[in-house]
Amino acid sequence: MLSSFLTAALLAILLQNAIFERAIGANILIYASRRKEQVIGFAVVITYVTTLASVVAWVLSLYLSEWAYFGILMPLLYILVISVIYILSLVLVWRFFPNLFRKITTYVHLSVFNCSVLGGLFLISFYEQHGGELSRFIGFGFGTGIGFLAAGYLLYIAYPRLNSKLVPAAFRGLPITLVYVGIISLALYAFVGYATR
Amino acid sequence: MSKPIKGRPSDGLFRQNIVLMSGLLIGPVIAGAKDFYSAAAISLVFSLITFFSVAICRIVPRRLVYTVRIILYAIVSAALYVPAYLICRNIMGEEIMVGVGIYLPLLVVNHVILSKTETRLFHLPYFQMLRDVLGYIVGFVGACMLTGIIRDIFVNARIGRIDIEVGFLVPALETTFGGFIVVGILAGVCRGIYNRAKRD
Repeated sequence: MLSSFLTAALLAILLQNAIFERAIGANILIYASRRKEQVIGFAVVITYVTTLASVVAWVLSLYLSEWAYFGILMPLLYILVISVIYILSLVLVWRFFPNLFRKITTYVHLSVFNCSVLGGLFLISFYEQHGGELSRFIGFGFGTGIGFLAAGYLLYIAYPRLNSKLVPAAFRGLPITLVYVGIISLALYAFVGYATR
Repeated sequence: MSKPIKGRPSDGLFRQNIVLMSGLLIGPVIAGAKDFYSAAAISLVFSLITFFSVAICRIVPRRLVYTVRIILYAIVSAALYVPAYLICRNIMGEEIMVGVGIYLPLLVVNHVILSKTETRLFHLPYFQMLRDVLGYIVGFVGACMLTGIIRDIFVNARIGRIDIEVGFLVPALETTFGGFIVVGILAGVCRGIYNRAKRD
């Protein structure tokens, strides 16, 4: 149980990192990487939602994965799942942690309704086939969020240089950041080994 | 009374191009638009979902808090994904849709529907809003197709079904890191052109 959780989490953090391997949530990552608090805040919310939603993804995979229309209705089903988690969590935070609620309201919607969360759930459904263990689903969901945190940290530490005057004006900011993420992605690609894909 | 919004309907095309200038919704372009046809499929589904979602979501009452509104926007776009996918599959064929994979359903959480509506589009009169959203769509389609065509040329030596004589091939452009680098360079070139035009 624990080993399958860890295996799936490591798969999601390293080999199938949503950002470097799939470019899922790259826009949110670039936005969040300006400040350390934002990287951590976004990563915590994404990890929380993907981990909880992975349990529902497991249930859906058990009962609906053979259904012919599952693929086409998957976005709607997952959006409904994410919405329920979002509302319930906000109500709980508002009720028991009002100070935290005030802090997160400015970006919580962005960190819930984005490609990282939805894409993470699609990846779980993609890699963890029908009848897979629940611990693997949860591990992959958890790993997706931690993978976002790792990628966010790598971008955060490079942010001042990527936005410095040493970079030509046209490439400063977004363009050079994309090239930088591409180079890290290339390094990870070589580390994993392309022959195994 | 809507707040006046500065800018022109053509903003989405260049100045606020959501891929090359704003860096929004870059995932499907980087990892999904690997050739001409996959870029066309992403462009078509994005266009249908975004245009009709914005047109429909405009009727969501503003008195609802944003927490609830954003859920409704996401549900509307996810529901519209079904007809958009079916239309695209009829035009492009099953094989291309499968090839694009998870990048098509990811388009339901795009920033034009979830954010631009709040910051800009819903402050405009209805038909001006539709014109504005068309600008964003054309801007996205331009960036996506350009990326797909460049990769098709240098990976497969063709554009769609038309073979092209290329002196050398760069198969790595098909990968995710290749996509990051191509879109990064295109964004730099786009900003360079924009900065120069602004100076002149």
